[in-house]
Order: sequence, then C-alpha cells, then structure tokens
Amino acid sequence: MSTAIWLLRREFWENRAIWMIPAVIGGCMILIALFGRVDLMSISAQVPRQAVGGGFLLAVGATFFVVMSVYSTWYLLDCLYADRKDRSVLFWKSMPISDTTTVLSKLATALVVIPAVYFAAADLTSLIMAFIVSVRSSSSIGGALWHADLWLQLQALWLYMIVTTALWYLPIAAYLLVVSAWARRAVMLWSILPPLALVLIERWFFDGHVIASKIGERLLGYPAQAFRDDPGSSSWVTTVVDDDAITTPASIWGFFNAGGFFSSADTWIGAAAGVALIACAVQLRTRRTEI
Amino acid sequence: MPALIEASDLTKKYGAHVALDRANFSVEAGRIVGLIGPNGAGKTTALRAILGLTAYEGQLKVLGHEPFRERTALMHDACFIADVAVLPGWLRVDHAIDFVAGVHPRFRRDRALALLAKADITGERRMRELSKGMKTQVHLALTMAIDAKLLVLDEPTLGLDILARRAFYDALVNDYMDETRTILITTHQVEEVENLLTDVLFIDKGRIVLDSSLDDIATRYAAVAVAADNLDAARAEKPFHERPMLGKVVLYYEQPNLTKLASLGEVHALNVADLFVAKLSGGAE
Repeated sequence: MSTAIWLLRREFWENRAIWMIPAVIGGCMILIALFGRVDLMSISAQVPRQAVGGGFLLAVGATFFVVMSVYSTWYLLDCLYADRKDRSVLFWKSMPISDTTTVLSKLATALVVIPAVYFAAADLTSLIMAFIVSVRSSSSIGGALWHADLWLQLQALWLYMIVTTALWYLPIAAYLLVVSAWARRAVMLWSILPPLALVLIERWFFDGHVIASKIGERLLGYPAQAFRDDPGSSSWVTTVVDDDAITTPASIWGFFNAGGFFSSADTWIGAAAGVALIACAVQLRTRRTEI
Repeated sequence: MPALIEASDLTKKYGAHVALDRANFSVEAGRIVGLIGPNGAGKTTALRAILGLTAYEGQLKVLGHEPFRERTALMHDACFIADVAVLPGWLRVDHAIDFVAGVHPRFRRDRALALLAKADITGERRMRELSKGMKTQVHLALTMAIDAKLLVLDEPTLGLDILARRAFYDALVNDYMDETRTILITTHQVEEVENLLTDVLFIDKGRIVLDSSLDDIATRYAAVAVAADNLDAARAEKPFHERPMLGKVVLYYEQPNLTKLASLGEVHALNVADLFVAKLSGGAE
C-alpha cells in the first residue's frame, strides 16, 4: 500500500502540470471574476436562481473537464515512454516494484487522481468566483450561487463522472498505455496511426465502417451512456418569464443513468478490452526496458 | 553454500545476432567480480539478464530467483547501477531519498544522508542541476544505502573525470564492501578496477573465455621477455600469445615451467589487462 502512495507522489513530482494547469485556469477565471463586467451576468429575477447557479457551476466544471481530457491523453502517452527516453527506467526498475504496480499507478493517476485534482480545482475556482461576484455585483447572480443543495449535486456529479469515465474510457486509456510502453519515438503519431489504418483498410477493402463507428461511439458516446437526456417531466421546472415559458432542470438527480450505464454490455465489453490491453502494457513494460 | 549467480547455457538472441552464446559462469558470495570484455561482447546483455531486465534462454538463478520472472523479489536483495546518469532530471535529491526509503525495505536513510553529506550534495536540488559526477555520487549513495546481497554495476564510471572515478571506487571499496556483499562490475577500463577485483570473467562474442580468481591468475600465468636468440627455445614451451616489445619478444604462458623460463629471460606475472589482451587477440599481436 505504501508503495502505491509513493508511486502516486512520484507522479506529482514528475508531472507538476497535474496541478499547475488547473491552477492557471482557475487563476484566469478568478481574474475574470475580479475585473470582468459582472453586470453582463445579471439576469431576470424570475428565472429560477438554482438553474442559473447550476449553469454557472457546470460551465466552470466543463472548462476544466475539457482541458483535463487533453492533458490526461498526453499524460498516458508520455508516462511509460518518458523514462525509457531519458533512461531513468533503469533506476525505477532497480526498485522492488513490479511492472504491474507501476503500470497501474500510471493508470490510476490518469483515471482517478488527475480528475479528482481538476474537479477540486473547479470547485475551488467556482467558490472563489461566486464569492467575488456576490460582493461585486448588485444583481441577483451572486445570490444564485449560494445554494448548499447545488454544491452537493455538483459533488455527486463529479464523483459519478470520475467513476463512469474511468470505466468507459478504460480501453482508450489502456490503449494509450500500450503505445506509451511500446513506441520508440513519436508516441502521438503511433497512437493515431493504428486505429486510422484499421479504419481506412476497412473502408477501402471491405467497404465497411464498423471499426470507425465503434471508435466513434467509445470516444463520443459517454454522455449518452452515462446520462439521460429525457429524465421525465418531474425533473423539469417550467417558469414563465415575460410571456415565454422557460424550462430548466429541477435538479441533477434525474439525469444520472447509473442503472443503464452499469448494466450496459458496451460498458463491460469496453472494460474487458481495457483489462486485456493493460495486461499487454505490463508485458511490454517488462520486456521493453529501453528505447 | 550455492553460488549467488549461476548461469548455464545462458543465451540471448536479437534477431540473427547472438549476444550471449551458451554462456556458463557462476559468482560466489563475498567476491568482487569483474565482467570484462570488448565492446559488443555481451557484457551488458549478461547484466540485463542477471537483473531481470531482459528475457533469455537457458538456466539462470540469481539469489535463488529466476531474474526475468521474479525481478521484484530479486530487487529486494540485489541492487544495481545499470548506467551512469540515469536519475531523471526532474527528481529532487531529497525526494529521491524519500522515495527509495518509502519503497525499499532494506534502505537505510541515515547511511544515504551520510554519503551525500560527504559528497557535499544538498537536498533540494534537482538532478538536472547537478554535474554528471555529482549525479553519479547521488545514485551511488542511494544504492549503497541499500543492504543488498548483490550489487551490480555496469560501466559505472563511464564519462566521469578521473577525480570522480577515483571517488567512486574509493567509496565502493571503503564504505560499502564487506564479507556479506558481492559486487559484479563491468567495465572496459580493466586497469582501473584491477586492484579491487577478486575474480574476473572474460567475455568475448557472447561466450565466457576465462573464469578465474585473481590469485589463480597470479600463479597460473606468467610472461617472459626474451631476446631474439632465445626465441625458438621459448616458443618450444608453447606460449599462447606473444608480442614484440623494445627489441625483445614477450611470450605468455599458461601453467609454465618457471625454472625453464627463468633461464630464457626475465619472467614476470601477468596483470589482468595483459591477460585480457592476450586471451582476446589470440596468438600473436
């Protein structure tokens, strides 16, 4: 157990970007809240405040999520390649740590630790921004952000997303680890070429698009798997503002599709493929010490 | 007591290239063994096999483990410096100590700190800020602070200046070596390690061509420098190597008739470097 903790600390030492990038994003957002024109954010008094607050928190969270996706991809491609490139793998392998433990520590960093850091940063940023906006703005936006229930829902959403994205993107993450453990150079290129080649071969020689659509579904199908787009009428609130009916979500709870996600064959087929690819990455890590 | 390292028919092929060709050798506990060979002879491949860093054919046991399958268990009792300057540039010295202390049950922090203090290296600097010699000192401090039964060093002083090389070997012999430890070291600078070795393994083209203790070499081999008029008589004693030197010819013998040789010329013992050159270059130079 303590080995696992030291391996995670090691990742923070090596990849300071894990916390520096969210710190910079958060800092920029706070600067905007400090010096931006908060009066633009003023809203009609009748729109449910919770919905406005929720929209704001989701917008902040989404920004962090997008950046995190890009960074995690880069991290996974780099993590088993960088130490072979600078030959420090020879030092790490002189420690009594199995290659399985090493590979799993990188996977856990990408799928759990990095998301947790980003979501914590999103929370902290939102809190500070909400405070600043409340103080600066005389309009109702400030007040809209202070709902304990809203924050609770947000934490539930982050937790749900960490678990479900980890499972859904396991095959992608494991594939990136395989490339990282295997490539002798140009990991980015090697991560794209094999799937691209498969897609093109399938299209040219078999006139099919099964592989392409499978890859597409895996990359983009997460929201449809994990969330309900129509959670039923009880989850919506309709308000009339200036003769327009505005429908807003009443809460986030109705949107979680945990039952559907965890009972979907796609989820578990992907996870099984992920486990196979992790085993493959461990084997490569054992056999390919140097570039 | 069984040997610490036991290899029989150890073979490693890279495609058509045979890096290790049915090599047989063993290393006993408490020895300092030099694995010596020209570039490309298979030294590094042999060490990588011993350390579990590469798959191989044949039998290999190190401290009772099969290295490739049981590297993690092996690394509890063995440690290595497989190359100089492999500590990553982003790693801080104090973090490196914390990490090894955290993951290695046999690591002794106080010893590492004492060694670093001796080398005047302070904690918060990153490896990329250190000179190559200092980086080697850090790696050596980390490694020597591990209570390991086997220490493996692959060209540990490559690229270091003479001061750093001397400091390295001094620390190795004075601060580290005792009867409970075994050191296996590869180098192609034979002269530099000759005085600290107890045994040598010569390797050439993937095969072990000599496996001997230094004591044996001293008693088993001799060279004689003869003038031209004694050359035929000297050759009759079946030298395995000869080379011209300052108008005379030096002939190398295994298990020589010393009284006979003394009558032909000036007899002297062979050092490891001489023997290495003689063994690997065959008959005449």
